[in-house]
Amino acid sequence: MTITPAELATAPVVAGLFATEAGRAHLIGSRCLGCGTLYFPQAISCRNPHCHDKTIEQTALPNRGILYSFTVQRYRPPPLFQMDDWQPYAIGVVDLGQGLHVMGMLTDIALDEIAIGMAMQLTLEPLINDSQRGSIITYKFKPETLA
Amino acid sequence: MTRPVYVLGAGAHPWGKWPEKSQLQLALDAMNAAIADAALSWSDIQALVAASSRFEGGMGWGLHANEVVQAVAEQGIACVNVGGACAAGAIAFQTAYSMVASGQCDVAAAMGAERMPKGFIPRPPGSPDDVTDPDYLRWIAMGATNPVYWAIEAQRRMHDFGTSAETLARASVMMRRNAVGNVNARFRKESTIEEVFASPMVCDPLHLLEICPVSDGAAALVLGTAEYAQRSGHRIIEVAGCAIATGQFGDPARRIPTVSSQVRPDVPHTSEVVTAVQRACTMAGIGPEDIDLLEMADNSSWHLLAWPELFGFLEPGQGDWMLNNGKLDIGGTLPVNPSGGFLSFGEATTAQAVLQICELAWQLRGDATGHQVPDAKVAMSAVLGLGANGASVILKA
Ligand SMILES: [Zn+2]
Repeated sequence: MTITPAELATAPVVAGLFATEAGRAHLIGSRCLGCGTLYFPQAISCRNPHCHDKTIEQTALPNRGILYSFTVQRYRPPPLFQMDDWQPYAIGVVDLGQGLHVMGMLTDIALDEIAIGMAMQLTLEPLINDSQRGSIITYKFKPETLA
Repeated sequence: MTRPVYVLGAGAHPWGKWPEKSQLQLALDAMNAAIADAALSWSDIQALVAASSRFEGGMGWGLHANEVVQAVAEQGIACVNVGGACAAGAIAFQTAYSMVASGQCDVAAAMGAERMPKGFIPRPPGSPDDVTDPDYLRWIAMGATNPVYWAIEAQRRMHDFGTSAETLARASVMMRRNAVGNVNARFRKESTIEEVFASPMVCDPLHLLEICPVSDGAAALVLGTAEYAQRSGHRIIEVAGCAIATGQFGDPARRIPTVSSQVRPDVPHTSEVVTAVQRACTMAGIGPEDIDLLEMADNSSWHLLAWPELFGFLEPGQGDWMLNNGKLDIGGTLPVNPSGGFLSFGEATTAQAVLQICELAWQLRGDATGHQVPDAKVAMSAVLGLGANGASVILKA
């Protein structure tokens, strides 16, 4: 029996990193009920030494933010990182608000047009698409499009 | 109650690639040099602390103190092996210092010996490989190499302070220039800004010559009491400050290997190192104005501009002017890495911070032939290790 692309599995690079609700992607993080601190990825406890409650719950993190800084990865990372048609790509830090800065790949923008201060939004994209493994999805940030 | 501790001897095996030499041989060369420098013998060493997170069977980092004494002096001494990644050497020094200061022993040695693997540093066995493991996430979700973290800081600095690509390149050129006269450095040829720009771009804005490679190397220090210091025949070098620290909540630094930061106002950037520096200064009873030279971890050219500012030695953004006007040179007002730094040595993880402290001792004794800071009386080291480890040592002549 031949497997058609449509029947291939779609899987996140790692379970528990992000989710989609009503067509909107978000990162899965933790929020401390004691002090409100947001963590990504999910944390086992609150790290704030002045917080004594430290009860945390899973939370959907904000999916928009401001580009704090970025770089371009110009050489191929070690093989643990898998990506089809490898070529240099941007990695940025996005300020999602409430003090949470998250690193991720940048997409939908030319490498020479990236600028600190740009409004960004979360998106999900495949890193790998092949007949053996199916689609392996990671999160990225792209310039914000007005909804 | 503690008692003063002195550096009796320092020794190193030159940095480089030494495929023909075992890690143990590198360690023995450094230890034997340090013991000879102290005018002592192995039978005088009462404790050995190694910067090592090696497991039984030879996996992991560094080389255990036990392996060294089992090879050269089976005399029942205390062996302590401490982790702390690239800061491990300074943590080993701090442990040896404490053993002498507390009166547990009169002579203790600290060492680090490293042979780095070819290519990428492999992940340790037994890693969880799931969402709880940041080192797994940074690879699998985005392929974030170490230079990515430094480049993101450098790019932001260019935005905040207008730091130019030329200034970043000049920091790398300064390190190579300092290394020309240092026999222990690996890269001892002067470079130019044009050569830095011509080297491959690794992570914008950092070129290959602006990030530290990895090397093999070993370094050792012998510490002891005032009585031993007077007998060594060297200029007396006191450990004036010696501190280790970990990170603070809210630190804005992009900390390898994490993929996020919780940024809070008024928390110092690279807080693990800043806190260690502050503690070392308090212990020594001195301020930035008293420091005659700084040996710091320059994993990239960005570090050379940013760290002296983070420590409060310079105003934010002042590093560029200082560098461009020669103030950070060997003859400048704040010489930074007269040794040539990580950029000229290549990093030999667990050994690197021990070498930094050796360099402080040689500078203060006037033995830093070819790269001597004139009339150095007070010298500081500062280092950062994975896992939010920071350490700083101040030596005084
Ligand atoms: Zn909390």
